[in-house]
Amino acid sequence: MSIPRRLLLKTTAAGGALAAFAAGFSETGRKLVKGAWAGGKPENAVSGNAPKPEFRVDPASGDIVPTPGQIVAYTGCIGCTTLCGVRVRVDTERNRVLRVAGNPYTPMSTDPFLPYGTPVKESFKALSRFQEKGLNGRSTACGRGNAVLENVTSPFRVTTPLKRVGPRGSGRWEPIPFDRLVREVCDGGDLFGEGPVEGLAALRDLKTPIDPAAPELGPRVNQVALVTGVPDGRESLAQRFFQQAYGSINYVGHGSYCGGAYRAGSGAVFGDTKKQPHAKPDIANAEFVVFIGTAPSNAGNPFKRQATLVAKARTDGALRYVVVDPVLTNARAAAAGERAGWIPIRPGTDGAFAMGIIRWMFENDRIDAKYLSQPNGKAAEAAGEAGWCNATHLVVVQAGHPREGRLLRASDMGWVTLDDKERYGDRDAFVVLDPATGAPAAHDAAAAATLFHDGGVPTPAGDLAVKTGLTLLREEAMRLDLGAYADACGVPADVIAGLARELTSHGKKAAVNAHGGMMSGSGFYNAFAVVTINTLLGNLNWKGGTIVGGGRFPEGGDGPRYRLAGFPGQVKPAGIPLGRNVPYEKTAEFKAAKQAGRAYPAKAPWYPTAPGLTTEWMSSGIADGYPYPVKALLLWNANPVYGIPGAHRFARHLADPKTVPLVVAIDPFINESTALADYIVPDTVLYETWGWTSAWGGVPTKMTTARWPVLVPRTDKLPDGQPIQLEPFLIALAERLGLPGFGPGAIEDMDGNRYPLETAEDWHLRAGANVAWLGKQPVPDAGDEDIAFSGVGRLLPALKATLKPEEWRKVAFILARGGRYQNQAEGFEGDRAAQRFAKPLQVYNEAVGTSKSSITGRRWPGTASWMPAVFADGTPVGDVHKPEDWPFQLVSSKSVLVSAYTIGATRLRHLHPENPVGVNAEDAGRLGIETGDRIRIATPGGAELATAIVRHGVMPGVLAVEHGFGHKEYGARAHVIGDRRQPEVPGIAAGVNLNDLGLADPTRPGASVWVDPVAGTAVRQGIPAKIERVGSPT
Amino acid sequence: MDQSRRNFCLGVGAATAGAATLPPVPAEAAATRQGGDPAHRWGMVVDVRKCVGCQACTVACIMENDVPENSFRTIVSTYEVTEEGRSGTYMLPRLCNHCEDPPCIPVCPTGATYQRRDGIVVVDNTVCVGCAYCVQACPYDARFINHETQTADKCTFCVHRVEAGLLPACVETCVGGARIFGDLNDPGSTVSALVRDQAPKVLKPEQGTQPRVFYIGLDPKFQGKVDGTPTLWRPSAAAEHDDGYRVDEAHAEPRAAKEHA
Repeated sequence: MSIPRRLLLKTTAAGGALAAFAAGFSETGRKLVKGAWAGGKPENAVSGNAPKPEFRVDPASGDIVPTPGQIVAYTGCIGCTTLCGVRVRVDTERNRVLRVAGNPYTPMSTDPFLPYGTPVKESFKALSRFQEKGLNGRSTACGRGNAVLENVTSPFRVTTPLKRVGPRGSGRWEPIPFDRLVREVCDGGDLFGEGPVEGLAALRDLKTPIDPAAPELGPRVNQVALVTGVPDGRESLAQRFFQQAYGSINYVGHGSYCGGAYRAGSGAVFGDTKKQPHAKPDIANAEFVVFIGTAPSNAGNPFKRQATLVAKARTDGALRYVVVDPVLTNARAAAAGERAGWIPIRPGTDGAFAMGIIRWMFENDRIDAKYLSQPNGKAAEAAGEAGWCNATHLVVVQAGHPREGRLLRASDMGWVTLDDKERYGDRDAFVVLDPATGAPAAHDAAAAATLFHDGGVPTPAGDLAVKTGLTLLREEAMRLDLGAYADACGVPADVIAGLARELTSHGKKAAVNAHGGMMSGSGFYNAFAVVTINTLLGNLNWKGGTIVGGGRFPEGGDGPRYRLAGFPGQVKPAGIPLGRNVPYEKTAEFKAAKQAGRAYPAKAPWYPTAPGLTTEWMSSGIADGYPYPVKALLLWNANPVYGIPGAHRFARHLADPKTVPLVVAIDPFINESTALADYIVPDTVLYETWGWTSAWGGVPTKMTTARWPVLVPRTDKLPDGQPIQLEPFLIALAERLGLPGFGPGAIEDMDGNRYPLETAEDWHLRAGANVAWLGKQPVPDAGDEDIAFSGVGRLLPALKATLKPEEWRKVAFILARGGRYQNQAEGFEGDRAAQRFAKPLQVYNEAVGTSKSSITGRRWPGTASWMPAVFADGTPVGDVHKPEDWPFQLVSSKSVLVSAYTIGATRLRHLHPENPVGVNAEDAGRLGIETGDRIRIATPGGAELATAIVRHGVMPGVLAVEHGFGHKEYGARAHVIGDRRQPEVPGIAAGVNLNDLGLADPTRPGASVWVDPVAGTAVRQGIPAKIERVGSPT
Repeated sequence: MDQSRRNFCLGVGAATAGAATLPPVPAEAAATRQGGDPAHRWGMVVDVRKCVGCQACTVACIMENDVPENSFRTIVSTYEVTEEGRSGTYMLPRLCNHCEDPPCIPVCPTGATYQRRDGIVVVDNTVCVGCAYCVQACPYDARFINHETQTADKCTFCVHRVEAGLLPACVETCVGGARIFGDLNDPGSTVSALVRDQAPKVLKPEQGTQPRVFYIGLDPKFQGKVDGTPTLWRPSAAAEHDDGYRVDEAHAEPRAAKEHA
């Protein structure tokens, strides 16, 4: 099954066939003479080089006999953001991972998963042929999860601290000792012969304002910023260092260029635009699900769990589902027949589609009126509902009224008198109408309330024009007719109506879901509209509906064993974050501009309803120094240059020490961003690392995955034997900087005894003790057999030395099972999710509905709405980049196999070496493009060469780009470290990165990338483009 | 090789093979079987409705069996098919069919390829001379010449795992639960029940090979009508000298070990 490439190319072939024996048969004679062993001699006559199985299971008795020299350990994967629990089979002598599969204790990898109390030995039985247990109990890793173990032994790993030689990005590095690294980063000085550089010590100024004229920006320490990538379960320690000890407010994750627009729209519905709660369909029990801009088994999170559940549910269960997306994926498996559907849609128009469905639901009286009319939680429960929303709450709509756009409150009615602090707070009830009398009532005192009202209510200050939130939504939905929505999104009106009918024909067992497809220039309102469909279906907290999931056992809290959340002397970071995710109206800039008679536009957009935004950090923040310049940037396993559409144009700013004087990367690899660093601190990889993670969503039960080092890390050792990685680096920085919360006595137990924070184990094992004691009762002690079978024996010295006698066996119990997992049966109580979202969903979101664009000064709608993709000043994108000039739209899709940082895995690359760009068959025919042709893709943001694949499964006018390719680093370029040159592997550069074609915002004066105007999230769906054929395959 | 729309069409022209009617082992073939426990007959059922095309099986097989780079003992062929204007993807996990009457065995000049008494078809790499007659003889493209050992290579059903009471690597890690492995001689096994009740099909039944890899959900209506675009892309010019291997021969030797194993 060796696949000769040239041959395949000739036949426009793609990885279909197994074998492609192509050599001439003249070979045969030669070989008959030459005999075998022209190559290497394998170990076994039949099984070749396959290592001995990890253990033997007696097929009759089920007895387990381990294989000497191998262990099977349950830990965590970081091959993508799903963060599954896996089982790792280790050759202990060679300190190498032989293979990775799933951990049968975790719902992330197994369905049904093992009861938590199952002995580890029994768990091996459950995976075996014994009584065919391993078929139903199989626990899996995905293709990527099977392959990423290569990253451990990759020749591109950084294993020693590096300092740049020559200018940033030169690709030349000097290995330096760890203590010198820490000294230079902290103390600064003339580090590169380019003049003085301020170190972290000098930059930790907690008092002096960045700008005395704008004290709201906060102290100078905020000019030190940290960007992280995948939240890999060490955030609580990183935040302890960076925010609580060092004191900067600027700590940001990757959400704004991941699925942030979806989370933002969901946050609007769930009433928290900062933490952005979200729910996922209960795939196992749903009857009908519409996936919009996401596709189970192709994308979404948890990727693998959804794939497992959807395969089962569409085959053996009740599930029928439809994927609405510009690009066909494996989710529309033809073999699943009518159970799986695909409906193409124009990029970035999901809001039109969703509002079309909402309109149909209103017109046909197919909203869940019983759910929607419950004005509070108690009433909802009494009515047999599992949750409630604010559909009936009255909104002030009187033009020009100071409370316009606000929810009407008891204090507005004169029912209560509250001081300024409490007014409009939790104690100030909302107002609804009694359907029997039409009289206003406090929302928390009423039973079912009036759903639709457009009129006045008498208040002490006179009649006030109000509408219910649902009335506002209905008006918004009725703004366009179904045909207009259909025209906008390209989904025929009868299809929209048909889906709406189907969605409303399954009671609570129907749902919609979205994710990365929302990352467009209209993403926030698209997502708001999509998630609002679930509100109208009333499906939240229901089995077969949508569930928020069981959440985690939080390891980093203040107890129950150790106070890890806070410490004496901790700093409360203050000021305005670099992403400007606060109201513009509270800044000195606004006040000055207002005084000057021109309050709007701000110099660059502000995002009052968004969380941290790396998108804005990279552009206006770093490149323009707005609202203030960055003095030092820490990149921890982050790669914004590669990951943010359009951010490639800021690589030169990042490379300029005058723009950012100090850049320190903590990363196991040199990526497109860390290549521009001054220093690289090697981090550990995968199964060498610690981390406490949970499911992003979609798991009904509570779970925490324990990732622990089942391998001896390959990074250099410190004198005390600790491997270099994130944790000792932060600890050493803290020591040198004299920061609180680290070092001897930094961790306090519940009795006030103090313990050191001087190693990774000091933190993570105590975090494990917290996990062990959470829940109704602590976990049991691990017996010797559990320890022997799980590979945890490797950690026994650390466990015993770090933890109390009553603690270490409990933590060992967790590590032996790769985490703590609530039992599967506890996910639901009857028809309801055990873990329910108790707060009201927002049909009308007051915070959104009263926020303004800092560019136009106009208010945003407070309900779901359809608006086409726009730039920051509200100009539709098509008005600037006209469709006649840019007839195509680029979309990004998730790769089943490759994530942003796994291109170095040889086996993945051999299986899937490139990401040809999907071109619709009719478009291709018109342009004379055939599969395999080289094409040039141009956007207003750049141009790239790519390979075409002609598909029917791509919407006309769309170019589909799979994410994870087009790398310039990670091995695509060989760096020189000391006197050692990295290998040359050009295949790592294969394919194209859509983000290198990302746009700037032409309506903004300064540095920018195109972002959603409300959420501030990156736009990678619907980028205007054109293509031309430039050649045939060579 | 047409990659393999032709093969795909032929393949799906599948006949139903119920377990009750599984014909007996050809006497001639049975006589030559050696090793393994004749009490078992190992087989696989692939429920393609459950295949999600994630390639976990493909990579697990590589890792488990140390399959040479750029070679595959199993893979999931993935096609985009459009039928009456409706597009979908078709995932077809492929591997050695461990046939009852394997055409690879009679052509082997050295006896390296043989069938165990439990039905697993294997290659004794100490006897194989790498002539590749078996590679040509296999109608399922399931064999290749291992470019490291220069001997014939293929799926073994992970015989070393099966004998240890475990499951094949591809089955263990099948995300959709599509791959089901077991003993066809045991009427109580899952595979026996599926073969009995689900009327699964086999690939290329007209070849008379009597595969013991069965497929549920293969739709005969795809036969001859498939407008399929392989979507698991194989490389173009951009990747032509990836990784230090000559790629214009199926069994080229490593040019230089530029990368880690």
